[in-house]
Amino acid sequence: MPNPIANPQYLIAMNAPIIAIDRVTKTYDSGGGTVTALHDVSFSIQAGEFIALIGPSGCGKSTLMRLVGDLDQPSAGSIQVKGKPPRQARLDRDYGIVFQSPVLYDWRTVRKNVELPLEIMGRTEPARQERSRAMLQLVGLQDFGEAYPWQLSGGMQQRVSIARALSFDPALLLMDEPFGALDEITRERMQAELLLICGDAGADTTVIFVTHSIPEAVFLADRVVVMSPRPGRIERVVDIDLPRPRDIATRESPRYFELVTEVRESLRES
Amino acid sequence: MATLLLLVVIAIAWEGAKALFGIPDQKLPHLSAILAEFGAPTLGGSGPILAVALFQNGLVTLGEALMGFVLGGLLGCVLAIVFAASRLFERGLLPLVVGSQTVPILAIAPMVVVGLGQLGAPDWVAKAVVAAYLTFFPVTIGMLRGLRSVPLDALDLMRSYAAAAWPTFWKLRLPAALPHLFTALKIAATASVIGALVAELPAGSRYGIGVEIIKAAQFYNSNPPHLYATIIAAAALGLCFYGSVALAEKLIVRERKAE
Repeated sequence: MPNPIANPQYLIAMNAPIIAIDRVTKTYDSGGGTVTALHDVSFSIQAGEFIALIGPSGCGKSTLMRLVGDLDQPSAGSIQVKGKPPRQARLDRDYGIVFQSPVLYDWRTVRKNVELPLEIMGRTEPARQERSRAMLQLVGLQDFGEAYPWQLSGGMQQRVSIARALSFDPALLLMDEPFGALDEITRERMQAELLLICGDAGADTTVIFVTHSIPEAVFLADRVVVMSPRPGRIERVVDIDLPRPRDIATRESPRYFELVTEVRESLRES
Repeated sequence: MATLLLLVVIAIAWEGAKALFGIPDQKLPHLSAILAEFGAPTLGGSGPILAVALFQNGLVTLGEALMGFVLGGLLGCVLAIVFAASRLFERGLLPLVVGSQTVPILAIAPMVVVGLGQLGAPDWVAKAVVAAYLTFFPVTIGMLRGLRSVPLDALDLMRSYAAAAWPTFWKLRLPAALPHLFTALKIAATASVIGALVAELPAGSRYGIGVEIIKAAQFYNSNPPHLYATIIAAAALGLCFYGSVALAEKLIVRERKAE
């Protein structure tokens, strides 16, 4: 372990953001004219941070996530992930992605779904099995490995999806409204579980979490990025200074309500 | 059970119509006569009873249909994969593929039989080719639909794993396409039997259900139940083939949720 004080270069490397978004613009051609999904967005994320992107429909929050994950390319500006272009980060398998729909393969068992990325990445059978067992344990589905996805509830399916995303230990977790299709009770439970999982999986997992729920964003995130539409841009960044670990008491604390109100007002201004 | 009930209803309607409108046996023989015909000896008494003869001929036709089914199925899958991979090929070739199916098979069959015969190919090849001609089209369309049915999120997921084209096809596109493929294969199964039957006619074959149907038609005036018996045999053949494909589907796609 090099001494940071003796090696200033190392210090700089440690403080370099894991994601640097620099003056990014994204436009789409739609029929007659061009739609500007994102306009001149700049933002940096530190390693281990939990970032929530929030805003009304059309504010470009999902687009921003997709650009970071190299599922789409920016029209202008640049993005660096771990000092690399997003494409290289994708090829290095730095991204675990969870969508609103669990996107599980019907013809694979739960365990085989979790092992899918590992198969593609060429891990050996014993290594895959060990990893999927650990991941299913992590999301509390150790008894459902041989079940098929359609035999599980919506919340359980989304847990499988999270286990699959974490199975290859990616540096970044990109989540696009992962709990958007769940009922309110399941949703709150999943939020608490996600924090535990991310904590357990290693505090160095950086998360970008797209949502349109204010309480969800405040409960989960270190920073809430409030975005506004036409054209999509960052309106404000709200620091969430709630202590961790967060639990049911967090949701009932006065500071939590203050922050929820703050985010809500930022959204109204947008 | 429901099928049995329906058969009874059809039988009643059949005999009822005969009694009610006084349709002569020449036009519509009694069901009992048709059933009895299955037990009648063939070749003027020297051959096996008709049921056995039809079974033997049925095996010949089934073999031809099966070859055509495999050939057409493979061709259909390959075309679908090419079309799914390239819009250019789809735009250029699909109209030709569709056009090929509007040409009457009765016109195509003799050309194929004569053409392949001149090239010295064995008899069954021509029949399999005609069967394949009818088979490949539904398979192309069904498989293409299946390959396109993959949700965009699932493809994005594969992309995020940096999966190459081959694993994406093998682990995602193909399994996702299977239900559509089997729907197409069930249509193709019956179509391949028709193709084999039709191709038997100009081929001057000695064996096959198609041959039996033609022979029975020629002697219709003297023995109407014979033609009906051969038609029932042809239907049974198609049914068997369809059933086999449906069974294969159950075994292969069994772990899916009922759709």
